[in-house]
Amino acid sequence: MTAPLIQASGIEKRYPNGTLGLKKASLSVKAGEVVVIVGPSGSGKSTLLRTFNGLESITGGEIIVDGQRLDRRGADLRNLRKRVGMVFQQFNLFPHLTVLGNLTLAPCKVLGLSTAEAAERARKLLSKVGLADKAECYPAQLSGGQMQRVAIARALAMQPAVMLFDEPTSALDPEMVGEVLEVMKQLANEGMTMCVVTHEMGFARAVADRVIFMDAGDILCEEHPDVFFDAPPHERLKTFLRQVLK
Amino acid sequence: MSTSLIRWLWHALAAAILIALGAGLYVASKRVDYTWRWERIPQYLVSNEGDEVRAPFDAFVVVADDSKSVTLNAMRGSDTAAFDELASVAVGNGDLVFEGDVLGKKKGHLGFGTLMQGLWLTLEISALSLVFAMLLGVIVGLGRVSKNPAAADLAAFYVEVIRGTPLLVQIFIMYFFIGTVLKLSAFAAGIVALAVFTGAYIAEIVRAGIQAVPKGQTEAAQSLGFSGAQTMRHIILPQATRRILPPLAGQFINLIKDSSLVSVMALTDLTKAGREVVSSTFLPFEVWFTVAGMYLVLTGALSFGVRKLEKRFAARD
Repeated sequence: MTAPLIQASGIEKRYPNGTLGLKKASLSVKAGEVVVIVGPSGSGKSTLLRTFNGLESITGGEIIVDGQRLDRRGADLRNLRKRVGMVFQQFNLFPHLTVLGNLTLAPCKVLGLSTAEAAERARKLLSKVGLADKAECYPAQLSGGQMQRVAIARALAMQPAVMLFDEPTSALDPEMVGEVLEVMKQLANEGMTMCVVTHEMGFARAVADRVIFMDAGDILCEEHPDVFFDAPPHERLKTFLRQVLK
Repeated sequence: MSTSLIRWLWHALAAAILIALGAGLYVASKRVDYTWRWERIPQYLVSNEGDEVRAPFDAFVVVADDSKSVTLNAMRGSDTAAFDELASVAVGNGDLVFEGDVLGKKKGHLGFGTLMQGLWLTLEISALSLVFAMLLGVIVGLGRVSKNPAAADLAAFYVEVIRGTPLLVQIFIMYFFIGTVLKLSAFAAGIVALAVFTGAYIAEIVRAGIQAVPKGQTEAAQSLGFSGAQTMRHIILPQATRRILPPLAGQFINLIKDSSLVSVMALTDLTKAGREVVSSTFLPFEVWFTVAGMYLVLTGALSFGVRKLEKRFAARD
């Protein structure tokens, strides 16, 4: 049995003002697994996800991602981040670059690909997310759903071992949520290892191997979606599901 | 009435007010009994003065009506001498001149007059200090947003000290103290003083431009494995540049105007040239209006250029 891609044990995040963002949270994600994290706002889901590529520092515990410790000072975060793709709620596309530029800049500058190689890789990914005709557009000319699909393709262009999604559909108009989830489902079916923070319970039920429920910086439970949704083992989870599924 | 016609009427009103102001100025100058002599200004812009003409003996001067020829009648004896086709005359009718005194200048090659030479020096000083100020401003601006406390402290100290003291005082310190210690010429001291002064303001503009780029851009770049320097160069600075341009243009224009203060250290820039021309012609109104106009041409050309540049950056989104 291979080591898990993400192994987080007892991680704690204490803010300078003393409040605890994460309380001894532990989680492991194996290669090929899709883990969905749900919970009320402010429960620490995004914080937990962002510790996995070092965007958020931790004050206790240890995290090993793809064989690299990243809880130490001076950890080689740059090297790690090449292997961990991240998709943000607000897309965070680079507005001064075309879609193609967004997809090729990091492969060229970070991985050292030639412009032609990077462009070829980018065009393949763009047709995969259904945006082959938008390569020369600037982000401002795209719809929200299209921007998020470009953002997914941009992360994939680094050929990461694992993809992190931080509420990828929360900033979208309702009719554009579907197209983004479709791309994510396709990725999951291809065997990509994924960690997804989302409020899309339908997606969690259909795609997740495990669903994690967080509240107040704690992981309260971690179950197969069938159990999670049909026989919630935790009282707090039951209330939460009643609220969101209403 | 159509809205565009109404707009034009308002523009016409503005023009009318400006014309009325000009007319008021003209009437006011009539009141103080000032004789406008604009025809004497062009020779300080473009001059064709050549060698000086000196009096060959002690004599009384007769200047012809066209101000181009001078006749000398010797004080003793009946010698006369005539000088025609002079480019400029430095003496007046009835003056007594002695042997060797300058009467005026012959025609020579066409060249810059005093004011144009001053304009050129202003341009030279402004352009050179601009280059150094930009370099300094970008480096210090990056220091201001740096995570390194030493860099941030030094940058903040520099900005506070420079912004908290008058430019004129800085120029004096640069010229009399630092210039003496380092043996700087007035020209070099002027450029350094202006660059150091403007650099502090540019640093703040650069800092604001960088901080205006959303944090998500840095996070996205870091998530893709960019180093800090790569993020700055490929992601942040290109986006900051567009925000920086308009305030930067204002700062460049300030630099050109501030350069007039270097005239205190024996540099004949446009302002100093203006003072010299005034003291030799006693035409303060004409000269200072001309000098103001020349500054306006410089600053106007600069704003025009920056607006073009802004449009090119804005075309992308």
